[in-house]
Amino acid sequence: MTPKEYKYTPEHEWICPESKNKGKVGLADYAQSQLGDIVFLDLPAPGTQVEQGKKMGEVESVKAVSDIFAPASGQVLEINQTAIDEPGLVNKDPYGAGWLVRLEFSKLSELDALMDSDKYDEFVAGLSENESGQAGD
Amino acid sequence: MMELLKKTPLNKVHHELRARMTDFADWQLPVWYTSILEEHKAVRSGAGMFDVSHTGRVWITGKKSGAFLDRLLTRRAGRLEIGSSQLCLLCLEDGGILDDLCAYRVGTDRYLIVWNAGDIEQKLGWLQRWAGSDSDIVIQDKTGDTVMLAVQGPAVCQLQNLKGVSHLPRFGHTQTRIEDVEVLAARIGYTGEDGFEIITDAANALQLWESFMKQGVKPCGLGARDSLRLEAGMLLYGQDMDRSTNPFEAGLGWLVEMDNGNFIGKSALLEIKRQGVKRKHSGFQMTGQGIARSGYKIVKRGQEVGKVTSGGYAPTLDVNIGFGYVPIELATIGTDIEIMIRNRPVAAQVVNRQFYKRGA
Repeated sequence: MTPKEYKYTPEHEWICPESKNKGKVGLADYAQSQLGDIVFLDLPAPGTQVEQGKKMGEVESVKAVSDIFAPASGQVLEINQTAIDEPGLVNKDPYGAGWLVRLEFSKLSELDALMDSDKYDEFVAGLSENESGQAGD
Repeated sequence: MMELLKKTPLNKVHHELRARMTDFADWQLPVWYTSILEEHKAVRSGAGMFDVSHTGRVWITGKKSGAFLDRLLTRRAGRLEIGSSQLCLLCLEDGGILDDLCAYRVGTDRYLIVWNAGDIEQKLGWLQRWAGSDSDIVIQDKTGDTVMLAVQGPAVCQLQNLKGVSHLPRFGHTQTRIEDVEVLAARIGYTGEDGFEIITDAANALQLWESFMKQGVKPCGLGARDSLRLEAGMLLYGQDMDRSTNPFEAGLGWLVEMDNGNFIGKSALLEIKRQGVKRKHSGFQMTGQGIARSGYKIVKRGQEVGKVTSGGYAPTLDVNIGFGYVPIELATIGTDIEIMIRNRPVAAQVVNRQFYKRGA
């Protein structure tokens, strides 16, 4: 489910590296499933400098507002206008058409500290266990 | 913590359907099963059902039950015909709203009140206080022994289960059987669509639920319930009104019958009416980009003038809408206001509170 070549944060953002210092950023499947139907995206304008771990935007579902954190520091090159116009794309295709922004990374070492897909899958499995433990009778 | 949450007789079914659960007024309830938008749409275009067993159901019986309710409620219950029901308010002496509820007359001296899930102990205490030790007034909270389903949508009368009650007028109710299950069915709802609220013994919950499932009725959670009622211009107690709001500023003056004897709160409400209200619960539509949420500030020319009490995305209309209290001079339809969304003022306009109208 989680693309092998992507990198992941504990806040459920992903990076898809396109070249050495550029890549797309989006929300992981877990995040979209927790939020439910996404109806609004507030993304940083192209040119904005973002900092790893700091808030760079917001995503709103019918029920909830949630921050989007920058998975790496750098400059916003492009935002996904299609997803802004149709936020449900983030639910439908979180790792593909529902990408959020393209970044030019300023600190490449930051990317090494992110989780690979195996590690991230484990991380999410741990969260799901806790969740079902809570929800059970 | 979780052990303290109350569960409806259908709790297990919700888990089996893999519903996302939430805590609401001390109850564990489904917020959505598949998607709030899908569930919202099902109710607007076909039929959906909600487990609303958390909603309080209190039977008031005895020779003085009608007079008792006339004293407590803002509309005269004793005037209701058997088989009918009406929305009304429970007000405090100062005119503040303790709850909004639906009073059913089920017999000569038999009434049922269906009220919100919150503050149950305080509300029951309020009833007991005014009933005193009078043996002609019997108050029985049967919320835990019964279950209540709201089956809502334009297609409800075509359902096999509900054909037998399709003759009921709006707010009418009757004792009947659905698949051999004895129920009380009322033509009422909180979604802006046609629909029924059906009460039965807790033991019948699963059978009733499954019979509707078999007929293709989509299970819907609290998320869709909230977006549906908001679109339909319906207020939610605890958000849009509470003890600190009076019926007139809440735009619920139509639920107050001043010719209704001497009900609690009447003299305060007469005075409020005489003086006129200073603020008004109003609907607004976002004209700028953003979603208003409960608690956000409403501003006009940089000054805070009120707070958003309910807000969100309106799936049927595909716009962002909300309610809030604004000074009376800003409550006119067409007035431009702004909503503070994360420290940014975003443009909005006061509009008719009933955003969605059935058949429009």
